[in-house]
Order: sequence, then structure tokens, then C-alpha cells
Amino acid sequence: MKVLVCVKQTFDTEAKIELKDGKISDAGINLIINPYDEVAVEGAIQLKEKNIATEVVIVSAGADKAMDAIRTALAMGADRGILVKQDSAADEFQRAVALAEAIKAENPDLILAGHVAADDGSSQVPTRIAEILGLPHVNVITNIEIAGGKATCTSEADGGTQVTEVTIPAVVSSQVSWNEPRYPSMKGIMQAKKKPVATVDAAAADAKVKIIELALPPSKTAGIKIEEDPDVAAAKLGDWMKNTVKVEVK
Amino acid sequence: MAQQFFSRRNLQFMLYEVLQAEDLCNYEYFQDHSRDTFELIIDTVSKLATDVMYPVFQDMDSNPPVYADGIARVHPIVRNYMQECGAGGWINPYMSYEFGGQQLPSTVYTVIGFIMGAANYSLSAYPQLTGGAANLLVNFGSKELQDLYLAPMLAGQWQGTMALTEPNAGSSLADVKTSAEDSGQGYFLIKGQKIFITGGSTDATDNTVHMMLARIKGAPSGVKGISLFLVPKFYVDEAGNLQANDIFCTGIEHKLGYKGCPACQLSMGDNGSCRGYLIGEPNKGLAYMFQMMNEERVNVGIGAASKATAAYYAALEYAQQRLQGRKINDKNPESPQIAIINHADIKRMLMFQRAISEGALALGLQVSKYIDLAKAGEESEKNELLIDFLVPIVKTYPAEMGILATSAAIQCLGGYGYCKDFPVEQYFRDVRIDPIHEGTTGIQGQDLLGRKVIMKKGRAFQLFKEELSGTINTAAEIDQLKLPAKMLEEAMIMVEQVTSHLLQTAVQGDTERFLSDASLYLEMTGILTIGWQWLLQGVAACQALNVNVSTVDKNFYQGKMLTMQYYFDYEMPRINTLCEILTRNEGFMSDVPLETFV
Repeated sequence: MKVLVCVKQTFDTEAKIELKDGKISDAGINLIINPYDEVAVEGAIQLKEKNIATEVVIVSAGADKAMDAIRTALAMGADRGILVKQDSAADEFQRAVALAEAIKAENPDLILAGHVAADDGSSQVPTRIAEILGLPHVNVITNIEIAGGKATCTSEADGGTQVTEVTIPAVVSSQVSWNEPRYPSMKGIMQAKKKPVATVDAAAADAKVKIIELALPPSKTAGIKIEEDPDVAAAKLGDWMKNTVKVEVK
Repeated sequence: MAQQFFSRRNLQFMLYEVLQAEDLCNYEYFQDHSRDTFELIIDTVSKLATDVMYPVFQDMDSNPPVYADGIARVHPIVRNYMQECGAGGWINPYMSYEFGGQQLPSTVYTVIGFIMGAANYSLSAYPQLTGGAANLLVNFGSKELQDLYLAPMLAGQWQGTMALTEPNAGSSLADVKTSAEDSGQGYFLIKGQKIFITGGSTDATDNTVHMMLARIKGAPSGVKGISLFLVPKFYVDEAGNLQANDIFCTGIEHKLGYKGCPACQLSMGDNGSCRGYLIGEPNKGLAYMFQMMNEERVNVGIGAASKATAAYYAALEYAQQRLQGRKINDKNPESPQIAIINHADIKRMLMFQRAISEGALALGLQVSKYIDLAKAGEESEKNELLIDFLVPIVKTYPAEMGILATSAAIQCLGGYGYCKDFPVEQYFRDVRIDPIHEGTTGIQGQDLLGRKVIMKKGRAFQLFKEELSGTINTAAEIDQLKLPAKMLEEAMIMVEQVTSHLLQTAVQGDTERFLSDASLYLEMTGILTIGWQWLLQGVAACQALNVNVSTVDKNFYQGKMLTMQYYFDYEMPRINTLCEILTRNEGFMSDVPLETFV
């Protein structure tokens, strides 16, 4: 069974984001695999370790730098990679079209991805890929079992879990609680260098999403300090919460 | 806890812009590596340090090992971490493929040690010690011993240690008393006591393999009669089973800092049956151990630099956030308070920390590059002499100055810095070991002045001066660097003059007086050496600033230039005072009568 994992290269979640000319500046920013996609990579490698998957292929759409994200996944244990060359400013639809085209050529049995990207958080790409390819899609999974041409997925649901059975091929997107991604080993890093990575051009598509403006959250303002006796301070705090913050007391 | 504990940007600057580390990949031994592998390795280690090591940095200090039932019970993370390091190949990445390593350049391995040390020095010590012990086994042990003991050590299942110190043989290893008697059955019977054995007996691994110094019965006295033995807590018998050896942990020390890793007391041969396996030839133990000691001393320096770096980032974050006071010329008490980083005195203390920590890291990486070049066969004799000369400096400057740097970090935080709510007091306590272990500053001073300066008829010292001259000549061609280049040249001449002056005393045969202020000589040479490292960084920063760079990078390079200027303006002048002391008061310390110490 061939498992294909879509990974996106994102900013390090610890990075300090700065805007330049209305865009996020990547100067001095460390780039990593989207942590949600990293979980999907780990899930795929575990399927291979259980002899369910025979090959794990990594696909990433983006600029040349995205190759680093592919190499990291290869160092974790994936077998080969495909870089779909695309402008890093591509929108979710363009990205989904580009990835779907590459996936079609690979004809995998299972497509895994993180359910959301840590940078834009739009949660669109896996669903769009499934739609384009006409495949079933299961979201936010925390476990997967493969048997008899079907995938049984456990997902998070409000107040509990949901078990879904789908025929494969299918697109399945992971929740972070699925597993704990491994650290690449020294040996894995050295082997990753020699694993094949193909580069293909992205299929053309018009953007459907236009970003009007990016803005950083407003900087924190100083808190208020009530320096009174406890009973007076409590009354003043209650008054402030009710009248200034407009907290509703039911 | 501060958000940041090291600078990835600075590591990239040092590796690729100052040291051109990728060039090492042109040598056959390192040819499988590239900048891509270096970066992926650093990515992974950074993640491991951030996710696993840093979160327990304070917890390991608050919950130090407890001695119970003949073993030090350590923080539970240690076992997981050792296994992670073993599985990931982080214990021996520099070893050859033959021994399961990945032939990683020492320069990059030093970066790994630096990141891990900055995250959690105590935790980083366990695999590093194991790697050091395994390296001894690889270099000098028999194939039989390698086959039995190496694999579990490198897998992180067995801890390795260096067992040198005894109650009456610390700095003076010539007085090692632990004895070894040939049993005639392929092993020796070891008897004696060892103290301060880091990681000497813990519950983090299933076995401990000591690389132990002992004296074979009938061996000459002094250092020429010391041999090296592998003494396991559990030995592998003829059938391949583990058998308890006659070696016991009798207690652990209660330390000021570096608390997460225990210093154990060991007793061997209480029942007359402690097995020790000879490593290499008899009576050559100290020579073997000292080959390893060079690397350990580089590691100590890097460890000190890493702690000073983490303390700097904690102090920087605090100084950027803490509002206190107003500009001195702002007399309006109603105006808002400003972040303390606006105060010149805070800026000076931050600059001081950065000058020390980044200067010390630069020297550690420089020496590591010499190690790589020597290993690759590039001017091996020259590079080995440079390593020999610089080892006491690369160990001592970061260690001694790390104390002052972490103290300055505390000062930036004021009263809070003195409290456990912030991590800087721990860095201060943790770094205090570094001028002591792996050879005290006193020993390093004697090593530099009494041995390294004069070795091979002064050839190592000459090579060192040539390295400095090369940098001075390059810098003198750059307008912004003419002044520091001139200052470094003048300082080098002063150090040369002091050296000649002291050597006159040595020629007269009065070694006691010659070496009486060797520690100060080491301090002086250390300041000179770090000045060289700052000038090298200045050259790289100037070159980068001459091309178009982003605002973020421009701030970085200008920060480098200003810290270099700080170093030359504030730190370098201390050489003048030391020169004066060393030339005027020569022998004073050896002459002070003991009865006057009242």
C-alpha cells in the first residue's frame, strides 16, 4: 500500500512574526514542517513499520525552500519526495489543485495530511484535495486502522469520539493527538540525503482567495491595579468587570 | 523561563560566515555531509533541546538525585533522554562509520553540545560522558572489549564515566592509589576508592562502564605507573550474561549547582573481586586519558559558553520587558516608566555577557575546526599543535568569565535575579563547576605556560601568533577594522614580551617562581585570544554589511560590530594590567611566607 503525505513548510511556531510591506517577512525566521503535517508523516511511517504501508511518499507544494521540509520527513523515515514548485503566495485552492495533480500521478492508496497549517490556519487544503480527486475525506483523526480495502478512522467529536469507515483511497487529515512525531536520527538524516526527490511544476489554477490585509494582534496594554482593602478591591473589580469589560453575570 | 536560550542565527553566522564549515565536506572523511545535513542536524537537536531538555531544566535542579540502596536515583527524564540519544545516534555522531558513527565534523558536534548545554547542562552531560568513555574504548580498547561493551553504551542503555579522582588524588593524578592486580584470567582485580565520579552509578541506565585509572602492582610511582581500565558495574561473563561486579556507590555529593547529574563516590574491591579490564598497554593510562581530556576540556568550555548564553537571553528578555525608572534627563515623575534595557548600565551588562558568551563559543568552534582539519589530514601537525596550545584557553576563558557573565545576568534582574523565580541564579550556580572539573584553572595555567608555550621549542606558540597575524592583516585592510586590528597587534606584542620575560626566569631554573602566576598568564592570553575571535567575527560582519541585507540581518551584523567594539574598548585593556602584574611581581606569590597567612 502506497501512502502519500502532504506537508507544508511553515514558520517555526516559536518565531516572532514581523510584517514588511503588508506581508509576513521571512527574514531570520526558521522554517519547519507544519507540526500537524508532521503528525501525519509519523502516522504514515508507523503504518510502514506495521507492514501495512509499503511506501511512504512526501509531497510538498511551495518554493525551493520547501525541499528542507521534505528532507526532514525523509530523515524521519519516509521513502521519497516530490516537490511541486509553486509560488509561496499561492492560495489554498491553487495549492490543492497543484497537490491533487501530483497525487493523481502517484495513484496512492491513502493520502494523509495535517488538518490545519500552523501559519494560515485555514484548514482547507485536505478537504479541497478530496473534492478535486472525488475521494472520501475524514478529518481530525486520532487513529487509523487499515483492513480489507477500508480505513477505520477515529476522530475527535464534540464531547467524545467518532469512528468512521471509508473505502480507500481516501484523504485523511490528522489531529495532533494522533501520535508523538519522532525526532530524525543521525542515520536517518544521512540517509535522507540520498533518497530521491522529484521536482515537478504546479498545475495552473486561478486563485479563489484574496488576502485583503495582514495585521499583527494589538500589543498588550498595561493592566489595571486596584490598591485597596480586599473588600473594597473586590467591589471595584466586580464593578469594572460589569461596566467596562461587560461581563454578563447569569 | 525565558523563551530563548540560544541564537540559531549566531550559530549560522559562526558556521558558515566565519568558519566556512561547509568546506570541511571537501575532505574525504566528511564528504557525505553538506550544509543541508548540518542544518537538519541542528534543526533536530534544537527541537530535542526545546521540547525535551529545556522544560526540565529547573525541575532537575529542584529535584536533584537522591542516594538510596547504593545508587543515585536521578530525574526520570534521564532514562528517556539517554534512550532517545542512543536511538538517534546523538552519543557518537563524530565516530567513524566502522563504529556506528556518522563521521560528523567536530565543529558541528560542538554546536550540538552547545545547544544541549544551553537547554539543560546537567542532562546533556549523561550522553556526552558516555560518548567520551566510548571514544576511549574505540581508540585504545581491544576488539573483544569493544564487542562486549560498545554497542549498549552507544545505544544509551549503559552509562559511561571517567573515573580519575580519588580522595587524595584530585589535581595531582600522580598520587592515584587505586590498585590493579593481574588475576591471570584475562582481567585485573581492582581495589580502591574514587570520588566525584559524574554519573557514577544511577538508575537511568542498566549498567555503568567506568574508564578508570589505577596502578598495576609493582608499577613505577608517579604518572608513569598509571594504567587505564574498563571497570563495569556489571561485567559480561564468558556466557554473555551480566554479572554484578564488586564495585559500589557509597554516596553522592551535595553540590552548589549542576545538580541534575550526580557526583558519586565509588568503592572497588571491598570483597576482593572487582574486575577491571586493561585498556591498551600497562602504564600508559594517563596518556590515553589525556588524549580524551583535550576533547573534554573543549566540552567544558563550550558548556560554560552555553550556560552564559542562556543566562544572557534570560537577562535580555527581562530587560526588554521590565519597566523601571525613566531616562536620567527625564525629570517628570508622571511620565511612563521605561524598559530597563534603555538604561546605559543595563546595556553595558548585556553587552558584557554577549561579548563573553559569543567570544567563548567562537573559540570553541575554532578549536573544533582545527580538530576536524587534523582528523582530515590537513596540516595535521600544525593543527594538532594549535589544539594543544589553545586547549587550556578554550577551557578556562569561558569557565572563569562565564561566572562573571552569569553574575551580570543576575544583576540585570536585580532582586528577582537572586531568586529562584527566574533561571539566572541557576546558571550562575551551574557554571561555577567549570573552572574546577576536568583540570582546575591553576592546572590549566601551568599547562599553558609551563608546557604549551615552550613545547616543540615554542612552535605551538609561534603558530598561534601566526593565526592572529593572519586575521590582523585581513582586518587591517578593512576601514572599520583598522583600529581593533592595531589594538590586537599591540596586545599580541605585549603578551610576547611578557612571555619572553617569564621564560628568562624559567631558563634560570626557578620553575616555582616562573609558574607562580601562571593563572594570570592564562587570563591574559585568554583575553588576547578572544580578541582575535572577535576580530574574525568583525571581518565576517563587515563583509556581510557591504552587501544588501534585510533589516533583521543588518541589526544582527551591527550588533556583532558593536559587541566587537565593546570587547576591544572594555575588555582588551585588562591585558595592560595583567602585563604589569606579570612583569613586576614575578615570583611574589611563591615568596609569600606561609606564617603570614593569619
